[in-house]
Amino acid sequence: MQSSVTPLIEAQNLVKAFGRIRALDDVSCAISTGERLVVIGPSGSGKSTLIRCLNGLVKPDTGKIAFEGRHIELTSEAHWRRLRQRVGMVFQDYTLFPHLTAIENITLAPVRASLMAKPQAELEARRLLERVQLAEKAASYPAFLSGGQQQRVAIARALAMRPQILLFDEPTSALDPEMIKEVLDLMVSLARDGMTMVVVTHEMGFARAVADRVLFMEAGRIVEAGPPDQIFANQKDVRTREFVRRIA
Amino acid sequence: MALLLDNLGFFLSGLEFTIRLALLTLVCAIVVSVLIGLMSVSQWRALRVAALCYVEFWRDIPLLVNLLFIYFGAPLVGVPLKPFTAALLSLTLWGGANGAEIVRGGINAIGQHQFASATALGLKRWEIYRYVVLPQALMPILPPMTGLCTTLVQATSLASLVGVNEFFRIAQIVVERTTMQSGHSPAFLVYGFALMVYFAICSALTWLSRYFEQRLQKTGHSAVAAPRGFKESA
Repeated sequence: MQSSVTPLIEAQNLVKAFGRIRALDDVSCAISTGERLVVIGPSGSGKSTLIRCLNGLVKPDTGKIAFEGRHIELTSEAHWRRLRQRVGMVFQDYTLFPHLTAIENITLAPVRASLMAKPQAELEARRLLERVQLAEKAASYPAFLSGGQQQRVAIARALAMRPQILLFDEPTSALDPEMIKEVLDLMVSLARDGMTMVVVTHEMGFARAVADRVLFMEAGRIVEAGPPDQIFANQKDVRTREFVRRIA
Repeated sequence: MALLLDNLGFFLSGLEFTIRLALLTLVCAIVVSVLIGLMSVSQWRALRVAALCYVEFWRDIPLLVNLLFIYFGAPLVGVPLKPFTAALLSLTLWGGANGAEIVRGGINAIGQHQFASATALGLKRWEIYRYVVLPQALMPILPPMTGLCTTLVQATSLASLVGVNEFFRIAQIVVERTTMQSGHSPAFLVYGFALMVYFAICSALTWLSRYFEQRLQKTGHSAVAAPRGFKESA
């Protein structure tokens, strides 16, 4: 998806080391509005670190990140906090707040951010629960929901902030196989509605169906980037080919 | 038995002291525990170090020595303390140090993922503590905190050593007086009675705590176990 418009998020030359290990070794990437970017790669390749740099959960040692063309003060937690309202994230372990019901999980952040008043937030939350097909679970506590249901509530919770982009960090990796489909279906439907997303995943079927662009990472570097057809069928780099073959 | 009834008013006056001291101590110690506990997980190193020093100092000295140290030491720095106040202060300082560790442990038990999840939603740090971490921390904090509270209630008896006429001291006096007057020692009866009273007070505390634990359980406060197959990848 080439565009002369400013990318929504642009990361340049990110370096992040944990001790002696370089999780990110000079990584650059840009995401345009409406783009669906999928990141694949072996464990330890830096995919999670990269995606967490995009909402400031991990702060790179060096590099630049710009949101809608404006550079972010990387060490400023306050700056990141304001940005996080526009960058939503869904985690591998869903991390719903166990002491709150589904609907309370969803309304907490929007109300605290003064995005909307409580009654309005609850209406919106119910609408989102319908969207993820869990309307009847509004008053349920996470402990009484299945993994797939919890993940869908987590997605609704991220959507409640009306983000411009959604980051997914291996959203189905911790799910039992029979629940993966319901979450992937939801993500496909969100993509069809035009949501900009960056998805770190091992689900190649999803990547092929939804991705506009795929990044293959290994050892903290982007080895190859391109449309799904290239990455899955016509690799330019032998490492990419080996990885795809291994997980096919 | 008649002995107990004859001295009932006397016992009750001691009990009043004990309950007053215990309640004040519990309130103050809990406040200190929460304060120091929050300091020890603060993002500012200075606060964390201050909290650590406070906890290590007051935790590593025996309560009895602590009490005498404060009672006899305070006048030397120009602050004469009434026995009751000295007891309250030393129990609060000691209880606060132990309680702070319990609070800190409870907060740490909640885990980084909850914090990361809340951060990703754009919540401010204090909001994360207020709405996400602390409500969940109640579960791991409550049982050991209750244990500390019962210890503090029982420790009020130490106040007798600096002259507070609390319940235990009264029991002691009754035993001594009766032994002198009648020649035989009612120690077993009187101390047995004292035992039962302390037991009743502490039992009430643990019963209350169990009630709150059950209420917390019902609203899903017990931490959700990490899902199966969860793995960390870079």
